[in-house]
Amino acid sequence: VINQQPAADNIETLMIMPHDTPRDVWTGARDVSPLAAGVAIYGLASGLLAAQAGFVSFQVGVMGAIVFAGGSQIVAVQQVGRGCWGRRGDSGGTRSKPETAPGHRLDPRHLRRSSLVAGCARRACHDRRKLGAHAGTARQRPERRLWYLVGGGLCLVLVWCLATVAGVIFARAIPEPEALGMDFAFTAAFIAIARSLWKGRTDLFPWLTAIFVVAASVRLVGVAPSWALMLGGVAGAGMAGAIGHD
Amino acid sequence: MTETWSVILALTVGTFMIRLSGVLIGQQIPKDGAWARGLRALPGRLIVSLVAVSLLSGGPREWSAGAVAIIVAVVTKNLPTTMASGIAAIWLLRRFS
Repeated sequence: VINQQPAADNIETLMIMPHDTPRDVWTGARDVSPLAAGVAIYGLASGLLAAQAGFVSFQVGVMGAIVFAGGSQIVAVQQVGRGCWGRRGDSGGTRSKPETAPGHRLDPRHLRRSSLVAGCARRACHDRRKLGAHAGTARQRPERRLWYLVGGGLCLVLVWCLATVAGVIFARAIPEPEALGMDFAFTAAFIAIARSLWKGRTDLFPWLTAIFVVAASVRLVGVAPSWALMLGGVAGAGMAGAIGHD
Repeated sequence: MTETWSVILALTVGTFMIRLSGVLIGQQIPKDGAWARGLRALPGRLIVSLVAVSLLSGGPREWSAGAVAIIVAVVTKNLPTTMASGIAAIWLLRRFS
């Protein structure tokens, strides 16, 4: 489930195919269904965290449908729970000024995915292109058929929404999720994702750079965790760009 | 209640901006060179940073559970198994240590 990185990076190869038809929506949904189990687990974890942050099931369902940002959404919800948006952690009745959306810092894969869809839909009308950009996810393999991508994306949107709402309901039924260790689901999930992104020794130095910058920012400088996350990611990516080779 | 909807709205606008920017400027994204390598590496480094932030916000129990999850992830490369082992580890550590 976790090894779902794009198989092709060349946008020029992703031209819309002449046999692309709305029927491919079902093919895409069918082919992506094995991923749905992983998405459901993320969704449950996201719903649990959202419930802990004070979201109700309707809000979580709406957020899942229109934001649909997977791990980024989990991070954003977690920041709400920590009070970074001015909800929890406020003292004396004063509310801290919300930070910029931390979830948006997390997943530039959406930009890349959208660019792939744009290449795929070069001959498609603009509305279909927008639909493909929203429904296409960072975990789908690039395909040559736009309707295929839309079908797979819509399947995952549906699973994501249902799972996040189920997570909220589940959290309501558990008096203390932390007592069962459910609060660690998020960290464990991202450890698994990080493992899937490891490509070999060339990643070692950029990874250590990211970890070092995060640790130094939080422990030595006292930077807020969401900003430390950003700094670590950019530093690690900068190191990968500087020392790597094509 | 209004604040929660504001958060959802902000996330929606931000997410759509990122997605549409891919549609609009995707062809201008460099395909090779240092910038391309950096952009390709960014999601992975952000996830590594996210794990580091999460573990740093915890204590020795969370670090131990994180170590268990890392070992399981390295060995199995499996998401549900890693999540289950991490949750089980933190549950055991909190209950018996």
